[in-house]
Amino acid sequence: MTLQKDPERNETKYLHEFADFTGKHVLEIGCGEGRLTWQYAKETQTTVGIDPDRNALRIATVDRPFDLENKIHFSCADSQSLPFSKETFDLAVLAWSL
Amino acid sequence: MVHALDEIRRVLRPNGILIDIRPLADRWHMEVVSANGVKETGRVNDLPEQVNADVASNETMKEVESRGWLKREEEKFFPFFYSWDTPSDMEEFIAEDWSDFIGLSEESKQATRSAWAIGDADSRVRVRVKILITKWKKVTDADQS
Repeated sequence: MTLQKDPERNETKYLHEFADFTGKHVLEIGCGEGRLTWQYAKETQTTVGIDPDRNALRIATVDRPFDLENKIHFSCADSQSLPFSKETFDLAVLAWSL
Repeated sequence: MVHALDEIRRVLRPNGILIDIRPLADRWHMEVVSANGVKETGRVNDLPEQVNADVASNETMKEVESRGWLKREEEKFFPFFYSWDTPSDMEEFIAEDWSDFIGLSEESKQATRSAWAIGDADSRVRVRVKILITKWKKVTDADQS
């Protein structure tokens, strides 16, 4: 199958219009395989992607660019109980998951 | 869902930002794109599950706003295209991945196949998904006083 998702890159354009990721600590809820994560994570200080789907996270971890290994972290977690201390993140992204 | 938003609020710093980005049921347009331009060939049918999910999400955000946890700063819609080489690729994908929330009429499928067949060699088919993006700001005690 020859699927292309968002070839016009509208999602990246609007995401950056709505938020400045530069130097931020970012939490992405519902990161899945990391499709959205790759669009902004390079600019952040740190990015944590969470998802309850372990298989999707496995793919995200494999696909994570080598130079971003220290910057992007993935965790199997549910948004009902976030395994982080209060006031940890500057920015949260609900990625197609509400 | 309200509890999840409370959790997000908890881990956000004061004046932290939440970006909610999600597709909305809106009988998405089906199109054939060729050198001659874009031709709309029909619209998908929204199934109740997707419509109900949107209603629940919107109600959740209203509740969060009314509780004074987050403040809506900005909101826009934009198109997100799923594009395939052929109508059969599109139909296969929809049957496998989207069958829980949208359906295709035979009339729309046939119109798409016909428009694609008379197009040029580079013709593609696509679905225009409607996306909502909203920027929310964490409300602090100082904002509320």
